[in-house]
Amino acid sequence: MSDAPVPGHRDVWDLVRQDAGAWDTAGEIPRTVLGELGAAGVLCAEVHKQYGGLGLTSRDSGELTAHAGSLCSSLRSVMTSQGMAAWTIQRLGTAEQRAAFLPQLTGGRLAAVAFSEPDAGSDLGAMSTRAHHDGDSVVLDGSKTWITAAAYADLIVVIARSGDGAVAVVVPSGTPGVRIEKVAHPMGCRAAGHAQVHLEGVRVPAANVLGGTALALPFLITTALAYGRMSVAWGCVGILRGCLAAVTEHAATRRQFGRPIGEHQLVARRIAELYASERIATGVCREAAEHWEAGSPSLVISTVLAKHVSATQAVQGSASALQTMASAAAVDGHVVARAYRDAKLMEVIEGSSEICQLELARHALATGRTTARKESAQ
Amino acid sequence: MTPEQHTAKAPLDTDAVIDQITRFVAEETRTAPDADQDLFTTGLANSMFAMQLVVFLEQTYAVTVAGPDLQLSNFRTVKSMAALVGRLQAQAAGTDV
Repeated sequence: MSDAPVPGHRDVWDLVRQDAGAWDTAGEIPRTVLGELGAAGVLCAEVHKQYGGLGLTSRDSGELTAHAGSLCSSLRSVMTSQGMAAWTIQRLGTAEQRAAFLPQLTGGRLAAVAFSEPDAGSDLGAMSTRAHHDGDSVVLDGSKTWITAAAYADLIVVIARSGDGAVAVVVPSGTPGVRIEKVAHPMGCRAAGHAQVHLEGVRVPAANVLGGTALALPFLITTALAYGRMSVAWGCVGILRGCLAAVTEHAATRRQFGRPIGEHQLVARRIAELYASERIATGVCREAAEHWEAGSPSLVISTVLAKHVSATQAVQGSASALQTMASAAAVDGHVVARAYRDAKLMEVIEGSSEICQLELARHALATGRTTARKESAQ
Repeated sequence: MTPEQHTAKAPLDTDAVIDQITRFVAEETRTAPDADQDLFTTGLANSMFAMQLVVFLEQTYAVTVAGPDLQLSNFRTVKSMAALVGRLQAQAAGTDV
């Protein structure tokens, strides 16, 4: 990816770079920008070419995600949602459903995935949104909360209970009974379109139930979240890269006490910490991407590790960046001010740091070794 | 983890499949399960490990565990996983001809 041109029209990326701060302040990304990036396949870049996607590898898709994240975490969050929706359709859907829905997601329509509920955050097993079959339809009732990109979405993949299991249902956001209520003032990724999704007697064709049948809820959640966590992890790499670019330029040019501030040792240490954070986050993301590309079972744990480590590093690194730039960055909309707020949100979403730590600890306790599994046995 | 992935040669011997799955579970949990042991109720497996099992079967046996097959009942025991692999390989062989 580093040598290849970034997919998507250069003018759009220039616009992202130039306007990300204003979008943050306004709490909205222009629909035309999202539509254009969506139609270029950028928002769900791993979708195969047969469905109009870019067919990027996990690593290249990750680098693209980091690129977006270095400019605008709100846009990157929209990518995470769109990519997670596409992945869920690819993974759980039938061949007919893939053919029906994926070309929409590479054609400019936008999508979100709705898991969380007011009483089911980390404990997703407590979700109460229900789907019941009624002839050729399925009817949904319930409320979802803090759904990223739902304010923009044309399609929402709703996770709901059904009988003893769970279903993932593709719900067009214009269906009668769907009410989208934007989160008024999110503290991070302010233009990512977070919203509550209320579903009241929402009737869609049974053909929109992915895979056509109820699945085990844990499978459904881990499947969809795996992609989202990789995307967030690379987004955190982007946050750190955006900070590094801003901080190194500032510290080399801003003079205090007769010399560039980067030559003051306490400032230099901050820069070293930020640099190390970016390298650490990149390292864990690359390892996880290798596991995805190899189809290795290790991808499950290395994805959790990548998400957790990258988010933690992004919080530390963006704090160092803000401290270094001080008043130069202490304005809403500034890339480093956004990084500082957005990074904190990354420790909360897609499995909080604590949930990730529980999973990592469980794995370490069970295996008594590292995430890397010996592949020699294959 | 793409459903289209085919990375390994597929052994057809059920005993060998049971053996390999048992070894994977043992490697990941430090406990060698009986072929009939319920991995979930006996605390060896949780949802994260279930996902590892899905990817392990896909990588090792060049099968695709698609949406409708993501049922806990298919992953409850080593034997049920071996049966799933057998069924998916038979299906794949059927569609290849």
